[in-house]
Amino acid sequence: MKCTRCDKAEIIIERKHSGQRLCIECFILSIQKKVLKDIRKQKLIEKGDRVAVALSGGKDSVTVLDILNSLYERKIIDLMAITIDEGIQGYRDEAIQIAAKHAQQLGIKHRIVSFKECFNLSLDEIMASDPSRGACTYCGVLRRWIINKTAREMGATKIVTGHNLDDETQSILMNYLEGNIDNLTRIGARTFPASDNFVVKIKPLREIPEKEVGIYVLARNLEAHFAGCPYSRDSFRAEIAQIVKDLSKNHPTIMYSTLRGFDKIKIALKKEYSPGFNLKNCINCGEPSAQKLCRACLFCREIEKHIHRNKFNANY
Amino acid sequence: MQFTLINGEKKETKPLKKNLTIKKLLDEIETPLETVVVKKNGEIVIEEEIIQDEDIIEVIHIIYGG
Ligand SMILES: [Zn+2]
Ligand SMILES: [Zn+2]
Repeated sequence: MKCTRCDKAEIIIERKHSGQRLCIECFILSIQKKVLKDIRKQKLIEKGDRVAVALSGGKDSVTVLDILNSLYERKIIDLMAITIDEGIQGYRDEAIQIAAKHAQQLGIKHRIVSFKECFNLSLDEIMASDPSRGACTYCGVLRRWIINKTAREMGATKIVTGHNLDDETQSILMNYLEGNIDNLTRIGARTFPASDNFVVKIKPLREIPEKEVGIYVLARNLEAHFAGCPYSRDSFRAEIAQIVKDLSKNHPTIMYSTLRGFDKIKIALKKEYSPGFNLKNCINCGEPSAQKLCRACLFCREIEKHIHRNKFNANY
Repeated sequence: MQFTLINGEKKETKPLKKNLTIKKLLDEIETPLETVVVKKNGEIVIEEEIIQDEDIIEVIHIIYGG
């Protein structure tokens, strides 16, 4: 067995969807080239962009930071990183340290912002209050609020997230199966925000399978946090992830075709379902919002009520 | 004939059967191939790789939660 590109004997991956076998050097190059090509082709980043990576310290964000660093070194973009501390005991601390190390090594600006300092609630406290929604719902909304605000304050023109092909396929299926067409129209390689106060978000790893991101991190010897979030286990996303992984065994192109098909119907979907809401500013925090209260503030009020009720019940 | 298996935190020495591939090993330890990357003596290898006497096999879990 030889590398299909350079004939080297030691191969580290066989791509079932294309039949390609690659050695370590050719694999690393193929990922870097593919990501940079997708960025160019879809105009995700332009020269002079100030790019903020949402850097969790996990394999996906570490990979995207590593690849974007080549644009930073060539002075095509400015690069910075934002890490969110959700407040998950025994899980987050190691990842935050890894994120800080990477930012330091590249010599880029890095801000670590916690749920606690923004909302006076950690995710652990939110989940201990026995709330009505799942952890991923709270976490997603609060995280997006912080990332957008922090990126704007840092002067970023783009926010980069590490979403990979598996994540994107799961999102498409989840929203389709739940009939959540509004959310479906927002899935894509970049956002088109309705307000200048929303920074454009891009997903350069959107066409890279999760497993290949993992191989990339190990092949490049990049330090990354591999542990799973203790709250993600029972989510609907985890169930969908399992179904897609099972399907992929006998149908190795299934994630690619799901994404391709979706990107085609999305054009029609957006025409039919342009939400056309007016964005105003949240009366509590001032961030852009479709309702009087933004979702982050709405959730925080909901949880505070829960905590009060729990205290009351405990006392009487 | 034996090999060392490092799986997450666990490290053990196992007897080596003839023509044991990474794929067969993962089946035996009930670890789905699509959630791990395997290193043989420090180098990433593919699932068809055959384990040799005294090899050190490291199973690195890269995907969690489904
Ligand atoms: Zn090669
Ligand atoms: Zn608000």
